[in-house]
Amino acid sequence: MLLKKAISPVRRLRRPGQVIYLSDRNIAMMIKELSERNPLRHLGLDMNILKENGAFGAVMAPAGVGKTALLVQIALQAMMKKFSVFHVSLQDPVHKVTLWYDEILQDLTKTYPVDNVQELREEILLHRFIMTFRVDDFSVPKLAERLNDLAVQNIFRPQILIIDGLHFNSKIQPFLQEMKALAEKQNFFVWFALHIHRNEQTNQAGIPLSIEGLPQYFQVILKIEEKGDYMSLKAIKGEGRDKAIDTELRLDPTTMLITDRG
Amino acid sequence: MSQASRNIRNIGISAHIDSGKTTLTERILFYTKRIHAIHDVKGKDGVGATMDSMDLEKERGITIASAATYCNWDDHVINIIDTPGHVDFTIEVERSLRVLDGAVLVLCSVGGVQSQSITVDQQMKRYQVPCIAFVNKCDRNGANPLKVIFQLRTKLGHNAVAMQIPIGLESEFQGVVDLVTMEAIYFDGDNGEMVRREAVPESLLAMAREKREELIDAATMFSDELTEAVLEGGDISCELITDAIRKGAVARKLTPVFIGSAYKNKGVQPLLDAVTSYLPCPLEVVNEAIDTEDAARNVVLSGQTDDPLVSLAFKLEDGPYGQLTYVRVYQGAIGRGDTIINTRTGKKVKVGRVVRMHADQMEDIDAIAAGSIGALFGIDCASGDTFVAPGVNLTMLSMFVPEPVISLALIPKDNKAQISMSKALNRFTKEDPTFRTHVDAETNETIIEGMGELHLEIYVERMRREYAAEVTTGNPRVAYRETITRRAEFNYTHKKQTGGAGQFGRVAGFLEPYAEGDFLFDNKITGGSIPTNYIPACEKGFQQSLEKGPKMGFPVTGIKFCINDGAFHAVDSSEIAFIAAAKGAFREAYAKAAPVIHEPIMKVVIETPTEYQGSVMGLLNQRRGIIVGAQDEGAMSVVESQVPLAEMVGFSTILRSATQGKAQFTMEFAAYRQVPASVAEKILEEIALRKKTAA
Repeated sequence: MLLKKAISPVRRLRRPGQVIYLSDRNIAMMIKELSERNPLRHLGLDMNILKENGAFGAVMAPAGVGKTALLVQIALQAMMKKFSVFHVSLQDPVHKVTLWYDEILQDLTKTYPVDNVQELREEILLHRFIMTFRVDDFSVPKLAERLNDLAVQNIFRPQILIIDGLHFNSKIQPFLQEMKALAEKQNFFVWFALHIHRNEQTNQAGIPLSIEGLPQYFQVILKIEEKGDYMSLKAIKGEGRDKAIDTELRLDPTTMLITDRG
Repeated sequence: MSQASRNIRNIGISAHIDSGKTTLTERILFYTKRIHAIHDVKGKDGVGATMDSMDLEKERGITIASAATYCNWDDHVINIIDTPGHVDFTIEVERSLRVLDGAVLVLCSVGGVQSQSITVDQQMKRYQVPCIAFVNKCDRNGANPLKVIFQLRTKLGHNAVAMQIPIGLESEFQGVVDLVTMEAIYFDGDNGEMVRREAVPESLLAMAREKREELIDAATMFSDELTEAVLEGGDISCELITDAIRKGAVARKLTPVFIGSAYKNKGVQPLLDAVTSYLPCPLEVVNEAIDTEDAARNVVLSGQTDDPLVSLAFKLEDGPYGQLTYVRVYQGAIGRGDTIINTRTGKKVKVGRVVRMHADQMEDIDAIAAGSIGALFGIDCASGDTFVAPGVNLTMLSMFVPEPVISLALIPKDNKAQISMSKALNRFTKEDPTFRTHVDAETNETIIEGMGELHLEIYVERMRREYAAEVTTGNPRVAYRETITRRAEFNYTHKKQTGGAGQFGRVAGFLEPYAEGDFLFDNKITGGSIPTNYIPACEKGFQQSLEKGPKMGFPVTGIKFCINDGAFHAVDSSEIAFIAAAKGAFREAYAKAAPVIHEPIMKVVIETPTEYQGSVMGLLNQRRGIIVGAQDEGAMSVVESQVPLAEMVGFSTILRSATQGKAQFTMEFAAYRQVPASVAEKILEEIALRKKTAA
């Protein structure tokens, strides 16, 4: 196995009389190839942000445009890098959230052998925990209590938290402050799904006027927009690896995977 | 369409454990005058519910075998199969759904859509069974039927619509408002047998109007006439709404939801009306058979009694008077004295007694007509056999039978117990295809296999009670499997020359992991290095090797064999020689193919009060469980996880003590997954010890 890893697939192909079987491609290679399709990477974002404790990110879009799908994609990419992802859904039951993960992983890995995908799935499953709450019951102390339960028994310690289905209403600021304190204390990054209205007026930065005061809490804001036969993904806030971010990514509206760099 | 068939309803009652299926059936039988007194499940009178006829069922308050009964309601004959709720008895549910035309999905108004409801719903989808829902236990604290309707939509994806709204809830539950007729329905008398219809109370009028609008809105999808009537804005007749809902329900595109409390005798009669109004009659359901003489072409059955007979034996029961075979007649009729043919064996059978079942009592009838369910006496057959009229070459599709996942060794106390035990096992295996038995050649123990601890426990208990077979049981054993993880090549020559005819055969090729199935044989021999007539022998040899893996003696699965070379001898080669060569080749390559053990992983769903959520997750974590997620639903939480079956032995007792008996769990097979190396070592040690003890 060690020898196999040392020789590149191309060189192995060139050796006379040797056949490389698709099944020989190991999981590490598959993860490496899949991470090439990480939308955050393509946007040119500085990935170190994910290691910053207490930082917030948001995926902003109107209803039905693909916030959950993109967040799940971001989670899958993180899980492949062995980050522990705690997915909080305030709108879907556990099995529906699981289905999101299964389907997006399936779309992402459809060109790979079934065995390897299954192995990858089992491996990354250990890095995910889904918890659903009723939206009216959800609060930071309640979440902290649940996270504490898991940490005390050494069951799960999140590095990335995803919160899907939260209403960004007038009471959101105190919630975000409490959440920030918890994230800093427990050392994790939080991604939010940020629901906006379709025809809402925006400021120069592309932020709807109704939530104009919120960006101060977020280190990264991604915006998805419908553009005819594709979805456009842009980072409207965030630090780039080497330059200011002005890249637009094109996403396939059915799978929400990157189709082409815009 | 004959009037007789149009007035038949074959329905099942399915739900999560303790949702009140048997209680509901008891009330249905009472209101349809099949029984004259109500006895409750685990009731104080000690009689037990009518449908739980087995002593064990009455004691434990659960339904084990699905019982069949029938009743009359409003000129309709309703055949009812009361099915078990516990997941270990899934085969009973599968069997009944195969032969039913419609189902009532019973849900608890407090628990809502629970894990077993999801399993039952998937089974209904598999067999395309239309259903109506009944939200039971509206008298309980925390009852919320509207939440259950919402869960039906979100969790099960049903297009669920409320047909009624409750008048009061919990201890104040008095009756229901029918949204089609806009009447309040109350249930008077000692047992709720007197239905009183009145005007809708003022306080509920606004809500009733709003819900009626939602109902009509959903129903317009299935009727243009109703849409027109709505657009015209006049009065909408009840018939128009009923017809549209019926169309939607029969097409499985709409789920009408009814509410009540069977235990408090409320809401059952309107449910019976709904069964006759919204569930299909046998002629409305398309049933297909396979033509065995025409390349397995699908043939749609007519459902007419005058046509030649096609029927399915879906359940066997060995009673004191011999074998009782439950049949569903799809076409034609089975009458006393008729000659019918079992398509599996091709044997002609003469029908003796034909009966209609009512739990453990029966009633002799002359014939079972098309669309009906009945039972035959003294017919020797297996569960799932098709019976047809002479000259018909049709067979019904066989039912899905899951593989057993747990086994138990039985040790009879003495010789007498041994004889009784074999009699009992013979009967149980005929009745239940998921219950299997064999004798372990190495340890000489009798092993029984089934779908879960409770499944096996019940059979052992029945063995003791019904057959007086004194047996002790070993520890439950999990059905491990072996498989390979790497490709390996083989080139094996079997040569034997010990006087007389010799044996010679050489097979070469490779074996590799195969994810799509248990076994695949690929013949790539060219140039006749192995003659064609010996190829099946090679396949047989490989297949026989898989029965017991060389690593630990578990069955081997997920392997592809490919043979691409070989050799034979004109005189010494034979089928036996090639079988032996294939077995040798397997042994040679298997060790090189990095074999591993796979174990059954169960989907375990625990419903617990939220305060115990942490400790429940801890319990699962200690058992090598992966927690898929947790659902916080206010006072209750649902934890979904995947846990190896080996770690779940005795879990119910542990869960009870950790949660003061307030949590309940369901468990069903999810997948086979590789055992971690440390656990594999332990398994090896156990096997070695068992072999040593047996020796």
